[in-house]
Amino acid sequence: MAIELHQLAAALYLVAALAAILGLVLPRARFGRAAPWLLGAGALAHGLAFARLHTLPNPPALTHLPSAVSLSAWLAVLVSLFLLRRARFGALTALVAPAAFVAVFFASLSLRGLGPAAPVDMGSWPHLHVIFASAGIALLGVAGLAGTLFLAEDRALKAKRARAWRSRLPSLEALDRVNAATLAMGFPVLSAGVIAGMLWTQGETGRLWVGGAHAIWSTLAWAIYAALATARFGAGWRGREAAASAAAGFAFLLFVVIGVGAMT
Amino acid sequence: MRILLVGMNHRTAPVEIRERFAVDDPLPWLQKLVATPEIEEAVLLSTCNRVELVATTRSLEAGRHRARAFFHRELGHGAALPLHRSESGFLYEHVDNDAVRHLFRVAASIDSLVVGEPQILGQVKEAYREATEGGACGPLLNRLFTSAFAAAKRVRSETQIASRPISMARVAVDLARQIFETLEDKHALLVGAGEMIEAALDALRGAGLASVAVANRTPERASELAARFGATAHGLDEMPALLAAADVVLTSIGADRPLLDAPLFESALRARRRRPIFAIDLGVPRNVDPAVNQLDDVYLYDVDDLSGVAEANAEERRRETVRAEAIVQEEVERFDGWLGALRAVPTIRRLRARAEAIRQAEIEKAAAKLRLDEAGRQGVEAITRAIVNKLLHAPVSKLREQAEREEGLAYLEAAKVLFALDDPNAPGAEADAEPEGGTGAEES
Repeated sequence: MAIELHQLAAALYLVAALAAILGLVLPRARFGRAAPWLLGAGALAHGLAFARLHTLPNPPALTHLPSAVSLSAWLAVLVSLFLLRRARFGALTALVAPAAFVAVFFASLSLRGLGPAAPVDMGSWPHLHVIFASAGIALLGVAGLAGTLFLAEDRALKAKRARAWRSRLPSLEALDRVNAATLAMGFPVLSAGVIAGMLWTQGETGRLWVGGAHAIWSTLAWAIYAALATARFGAGWRGREAAASAAAGFAFLLFVVIGVGAMT
Repeated sequence: MRILLVGMNHRTAPVEIRERFAVDDPLPWLQKLVATPEIEEAVLLSTCNRVELVATTRSLEAGRHRARAFFHRELGHGAALPLHRSESGFLYEHVDNDAVRHLFRVAASIDSLVVGEPQILGQVKEAYREATEGGACGPLLNRLFTSAFAAAKRVRSETQIASRPISMARVAVDLARQIFETLEDKHALLVGAGEMIEAALDALRGAGLASVAVANRTPERASELAARFGATAHGLDEMPALLAAADVVLTSIGADRPLLDAPLFESALRARRRRPIFAIDLGVPRNVDPAVNQLDDVYLYDVDDLSGVAEANAEERRRETVRAEAIVQEEVERFDGWLGALRAVPTIRRLRARAEAIRQAEIEKAAAKLRLDEAGRQGVEAITRAIVNKLLHAPVSKLREQAEREEGLAYLEAAKVLFALDDPNAPGAEADAEPEGGTGAEES
């Protein structure tokens, strides 16, 4: 049932993505209006999937990569739904919904084969690590998507191309604010995830730092975000620089979580 | 009932002709028109680009004659300025289906001078409201105008005919809204004090900017302009500080070389912590070095850029017109269907009257022979009424359905022949009080 709910959520995210893209390209407002509702329905199914997973006798561990990716996608969708309450943010659905679809679809394929959580009692640290890290990734993911949208709009404005769909996109100022707000929230949450991970490692091995690809790359990603947060809030980066760095930072974070996570 | 539209617009009549017919208060005209036997219902639309009379008439020729006479002899500012007969080429005339299509195109702003302009729909609504309140509108025009508003709404929501601005001022405001979430907390700097700047000041005040500063070589002229529009006046020597405070910069000043260059903008950006600047250069020769557009967080548009966007938007509107016409056609067909169904009403009424007359006559005969008491008579009444209703149900439904199509008129003719509905001596013929061609709209 949990897997079917995951698949239902993936399907709803896909339909939301198509509606949002059609809403941008076509003048029919009904597509654009339907997209957030479809995204919300997907988030509901997704939330029910997690609730169902939680009640299983042997639930798959949240620390497994597919579960963690699915959790990140769900949290990113929730953040986007919050932003969608603001006018003209509908275009964000066109980026968030496809990303959520891909994440949840592949997660649902892998969930079936996952075993239950490790029997070793590690306390709350593994779960806290995954929850904080996923929430951090979700927030920074939204920052990255907002940055991508900013770069596309900035390019079109600089090139002086008239496109009807451009007026349906959020303004550059609004995208920059989303970028700043999600980075401001995402970096501390990601930091909490890293700290929880270190405490989990200490519980297992007695040491805070054990090395290994996941630890090294994750620390590197955290350091990059630390630099970005410093540049943004210390040196006053904004606009194009901030957008480009948020997009690149998130691409690197994805590589660390999915690429390195899958290899280790 | 026929629908007739007579009028003139910006394509058929120059402004010196149109201005003679501008009507401030259409009500007296409308009441006079509908009081005449030729015109049943009327709506008078008068805008700066068109004067049109939409009317319904029982006799097309009489109605047409009356509508033309209305323009020739009555409308205008008194008898001193009648529209001369030789000038009747300024008038156009549309009948029935063409009149419906024309009105729908007008309401949807396809027929406007600036295609997609939003004012016309409000003007059509106002004209309709005045006619309704003055009692000049009946069921047919009520339906016609309601359908016109529905068509206009569909065109507006399903096409981009009105979504893209095509005037330079609106293009600039639209671009500003793509950069800034709101203009209400933004500051504008206008460089120059000529006519262009004066017009821009007016437009920017309308866009709701928080403050406007005017900088000019001669501060006196800037002060004069600033005082009129509630702005602040400055000299060009204050430019670095003014630029650092400005979110929107608009320049139109006579200069051989660019007055504002990239280093000036770069230092302004640093001072304002790289908050974006939208620069509009209306100067020819240009006042802002084009290299400024290469800077991050500055969006520079010159006259050609704005014209290019405006032209692209206008082209898009033209492309959208094709889709808008298709929507209008769909709505015209829908209205025709309703009108067609209305055409069936007199025939259906006669058919029912014929059946009822036969039923009544047969009951009278039977009641005399069978010596029915009151209860028995009521029973026979109920049975015969049920039989008649059941027998007529299928043909009446079919007639209504078929009458919505142009080819369906043959069914109406067939019904008249089969049931001898045109025979004045047949039972029930006297019950047909409605003359042929009546709308019967009150029954729909």
